[in-house]
Amino acid sequence: MIEIIELLLFGTAIGGIFALIASGFSLIFGVSRILNFAHGVCFAVSAYSAIFLIKEFSLDVYLASLIGIAIAVLLGLVVYAITKPVRANAVMVIIVTLAFALLVERVILTSFGNRGMSLTPFVEGVQVIYENLRMAKMRLIAIPVAIALLLALDLFINKSMAGKRIQAVSQDLEASMLIGINVEWIFIITIAISSALAGFAGILYSQIFNIYPAMILRVLIYAFAIVILGGLGSIRGSILASFIVGYVFVATMKTLGTHWSEFVMLIVIVGILIAKPTGIFGVRE
Amino acid sequence: MRSLAILALVLLLAFCVSQPETIGKREKVVIGVLAPLSLPEGSAQEKAARIAVEEINSKGGILGYKVELVVGDDKLDPTVGSAEFRRLATIEKADVIIGGFSSGVMLATMEVMAETKTLFLTDASSPSHSAKVAENYEKYKYWFRLQNNATTFAYDIADMVKMLRENGYEVKKVYIIRDEHIWAEDVVKALKPLLDSLQVEIVKDVKIPRNYAEYEPLILEAERLNADLIIPIIALAGTGDILVKQWASLKPKLLIGGDLLAANDYAFFEKTGGAANYVIFTADGGTLVTDPITKMGKEFVEKYKAKYGHYPEAHQAFVAYDAVYLYKLAVEEAQRNKEKDPFNSDVLVKYIERFNEKNPVVLTRPIAFAKNHDLAWGDNLTRNWISQWQDGKQVVIYPEHVATGKLKLPPWIK
Repeated sequence: MIEIIELLLFGTAIGGIFALIASGFSLIFGVSRILNFAHGVCFAVSAYSAIFLIKEFSLDVYLASLIGIAIAVLLGLVVYAITKPVRANAVMVIIVTLAFALLVERVILTSFGNRGMSLTPFVEGVQVIYENLRMAKMRLIAIPVAIALLLALDLFINKSMAGKRIQAVSQDLEASMLIGINVEWIFIITIAISSALAGFAGILYSQIFNIYPAMILRVLIYAFAIVILGGLGSIRGSILASFIVGYVFVATMKTLGTHWSEFVMLIVIVGILIAKPTGIFGVRE
Repeated sequence: MRSLAILALVLLLAFCVSQPETIGKREKVVIGVLAPLSLPEGSAQEKAARIAVEEINSKGGILGYKVELVVGDDKLDPTVGSAEFRRLATIEKADVIIGGFSSGVMLATMEVMAETKTLFLTDASSPSHSAKVAENYEKYKYWFRLQNNATTFAYDIADMVKMLRENGYEVKKVYIIRDEHIWAEDVVKALKPLLDSLQVEIVKDVKIPRNYAEYEPLILEAERLNADLIIPIIALAGTGDILVKQWASLKPKLLIGGDLLAANDYAFFEKTGGAANYVIFTADGGTLVTDPITKMGKEFVEKYKAKYGHYPEAHQAFVAYDAVYLYKLAVEEAQRNKEKDPFNSDVLVKYIERFNEKNPVVLTRPIAFAKNHDLAWGDNLTRNWISQWQDGKQVVIYPEHVATGKLKLPPWIK
């Protein structure tokens, strides 16, 4: 019993963080058909910025996190700007965003070193869950926070006017332009939301675990795999896939050992894609 | 006249051939540092070597030659490490290379060392390095390790278990968390029979990859398996601070004690927000960063602090500092013995080998080599003292002749 509760809670926490990253990645691809290989930059930079602001300027963790997320959004807009001239060429977009990601990784490596760093948690301490099962309060808090953000994203996309415009652009770019939707603004809003989600994921992740320069590409691999598993462009698919990956990750860690967790996670993804090549929620274009 | 000219030419040629190339052309002594510079363990080596070189140059250099430091970054990658070693040895013409950190990188760079016949005074910990010296002495004799190796780390951990028992903390079951890496593999291989002999059961042996941070489930599992002690053997994972923070917040009924490299950091207590309190660790390199055991060590850390504004960020600083001075001593000894080329690596190997268990040289630590060029281990030589973080300070708690304090248990265990 205790093992199942532990698996569910740990898997949901990590799955929730994965979902914040992957939904943003999926959103950008769905709307602008941009495979943003610099998505991990927003994840890492928000955390590093917050850590820096707390250490150097003794800022409150909430304010530092807020500024960190704002910096992530700014970097997202930089990605928008540098990919705009080459947007028609998918390969060039990948090269430009990947080069940008590697550049930022190098800057972080030089500035902060290769060793992992943690951000001060919003809430310290441990919560007793059941019998002897305890969990860091921050990890417990990450679960409802991530779920609330994902629900808010879902509501925004499906209920708000801006969300409906995003859906329209996602479904048919030319038709959206014909009915007067400012497509460039939609791209900008989309990339800002995605960057903020990735930035917030970075803040949560670095409070529970730690952040290091190589996370920029590691997060990209996770996001890519999850988004393909969920179905390219499907936000709900990405969210579901994130939790599947989270549970597989934790279950493998507990049964086979920590060094197998990523390996098994990737095997499961490949297995599902062989059975359903379009992913869980994907459709053939 | 013509025959006289030919004779002069022959004599001149003979003179040129008979003179070692290095003597005729030497203008300086070049010391190479090869280390992962983006890690504290690497930058500490470069900084420490720089201090040693500055000190030596201010006193006239080595045999009157100015010493120059050249630096290579191995990026923790065997291919990069090998290429950088080759660059330092052949293009920069380093007379000696010091450094290294990763055992995997070391295995690769030792091949370039053998090929270029460059003296290599190193860190890293796998016994597989010294095994190469033992198996093929002529090829690998240029390699010396200035810190203890993974086998002796196991002796230190076994002694820690004995010390805990002697202090009334019973250890019957242990839970090992270790780097998924060759060095930790070697420690566990040596540790298992030692724990067997102490009738200690290993309830689980968990390998973790680099940057692993999900320790909470492991700590809870250790508790469920009734372990008395978590033995971390963690360096390259780089997340010792996370382990300690999660341990301190969960407050399980078990201690943490082992080879936790991060705990050697002078700023570890601050970095963990005080969670490091009561964490037991082995003082790697045979000295506490904040409280060295020799006069030279004490002076060195103060110079380091004055120059860089903080204590050495890793014990590798002591290894690099000692390596520069060891090289100087060996060269000077070779010169005193009227060696034709006192900078020649083959010559210097003999002189460095003279620092053995019966004749250690005391630098920041006592330095003596075994036959396989590993650093000799022992209470009166160099070993990783069992230490503990107590109220923000690093304290040696075993063995008694160097102890600066006694074991303290966390209040939630008392």
